[in-house]
Amino acid sequence: MVLPPVAVIAVFIGFPVVAAIAYTLGRAGGPNSVVASLGQRQFIVQHGVTLDAYRDVLSNDTIHRDLWATIWVTIVSTLVVVVVSWAIALYLRLADTRLARIVSALSVVPLFIPVVIASYAILTFYASDGFMRTIAYHLGWNGFPTLGFTLTCVVLAEIWVNIPFGVLMMSSGLNGVPNNLIEAARDSGASMPRVVRSILLPMNVIPTVIVGTFTAIYVLGSFTVPYLTGPTAPNLLGPTMSNFFSAFNQPQQAEVLAIVVFVFALGIGAVYVWANVRTGKRSSVAQ
Amino acid sequence: MTMVAVARGVGRRALELVLVVSLLVFMVGPIVWLGLRAFSGLWRYPQLLPKQWTVSGWSQVFHDPNLSHSMKLSFEFAPVVTVVSAAICLPAAYAFSRYTFPGRRVLLISLFATNAFPKIGLYISMAGVFYSLNLMGTFMGVVIVQLIGTVVFMTWIPAAAFSAIPRSLEEAARDVGAGPLRVFFRVTFPLAAPAIFVAMILSFLASFDEAQGTFLVGVPNYITMPTEMYTLVLNYPEQVAAVFALLLALPSVLLMALVRKHVMGGKLAEGFQLR
Repeated sequence: MVLPPVAVIAVFIGFPVVAAIAYTLGRAGGPNSVVASLGQRQFIVQHGVTLDAYRDVLSNDTIHRDLWATIWVTIVSTLVVVVVSWAIALYLRLADTRLARIVSALSVVPLFIPVVIASYAILTFYASDGFMRTIAYHLGWNGFPTLGFTLTCVVLAEIWVNIPFGVLMMSSGLNGVPNNLIEAARDSGASMPRVVRSILLPMNVIPTVIVGTFTAIYVLGSFTVPYLTGPTAPNLLGPTMSNFFSAFNQPQQAEVLAIVVFVFALGIGAVYVWANVRTGKRSSVAQ
Repeated sequence: MTMVAVARGVGRRALELVLVVSLLVFMVGPIVWLGLRAFSGLWRYPQLLPKQWTVSGWSQVFHDPNLSHSMKLSFEFAPVVTVVSAAICLPAAYAFSRYTFPGRRVLLISLFATNAFPKIGLYISMAGVFYSLNLMGTFMGVVIVQLIGTVVFMTWIPAAAFSAIPRSLEEAARDVGAGPLRVFFRVTFPLAAPAIFVAMILSFLASFDEAQGTFLVGVPNYITMPTEMYTLVLNYPEQVAAVFALLLALPSVLLMALVRKHVMGGKLAEGFQLR
């Protein structure tokens, strides 16, 4: 019964990834034969493997800049999403006012909007004739920067898209902390910041790790957001990969970039699995 | 209360309000701004609102053959993907929640690993092999690409629902003489049905809104609504793009509103913790 989905994953994810690794190492046989017969500027060997494709890609200055743009945008977006969703979730956990309910509703708005639409909407919002510049002008600030088609706009859009997941995860974690635990600490004289630091923070580590890892992986693998809101160059590796694959007809280079991004994600994913296994052990002891 | 305490209370309240208004502008502003564009005639910076209002963008969208064709395509792919996904994943969801078998945990994690791949990298790798499998630019190819994004929903949410049904209920039914199939269809399935419905809605939306993989694999034969947006933004009048964007967002807004409670209730969040 579990075979069908596992087979789908194995055939359409596992197999292509293995084939992609082989192709990037210079092997153009089997499943790669058709794509290799179409591509240009390939580094192919008949026996053994070669790292020439990796050398070619990683010595390219444009790609260097894209790589750094990707790393920076990923780090900044992830940090902001973790901090902001922590703050919102904490506010929702501790305040039970009408304002809190509004905040709760606001933070899940992006769930209702497809990413393509969101990217386009955010682009026009920060464009040269967008809302931000218009409102700044009316408030007397004529020089508000045009953020549309910049990496800043990419960061803003990535944050926007990832906030609901962050807030839902963090809220689910913080709601798991019993009220009487917080009250007991308050009764014995702990200040609110102290309660956050000593009770809520340590009890919400896993959700924090999950939000951090999944946001980072999402940003690394995003195409729509940077493609629509970002600059032509340097931009994130998502659009670069797609350009190499389709527009430049250099699929091997595109797949090298895919593998590079996978390696980043693998590192991030390892943290996630490690954190889960750790708590899995702890909770199975508790039961 | 002293004056200082009152002042501090007012200050905190003001800060709270400023933060909430900033959040409002950041989250909802872009959507409202887009909504205005869909009805704007003449609108130049730095006017706060359009000089003229019009609905001409709406008729343009419905009369453009490319755009209406992409709408039709989107409504073909999403149901197909949802049904295929349900057929493949629901039995697995049941098995994961009801049986323990060797390798269960590894298989669970491997399913979940689909989420751990940066999407665009995955689609690029898939596209490379799709040439050899004759899937590039085909209906099947697009269905498979979109299917990948639904597997996690379709397995996890129903699995959690099956697990939540007490075994004693099924045993009681069996004790009074019901066969295993009858037990499943009369007891287990009706209880899990709401969660299955939620999973199907989320899969429908995942497929309906999928753009980047469909773009890579489906172009130029299958251009769905979200992939059409890529070209629209660059090649059409802004107003037409805004109208099309609103239309594309409509199913999302309606269907998500339908399953809102389930998604917000922390069920989705729980699914992310491997067990």
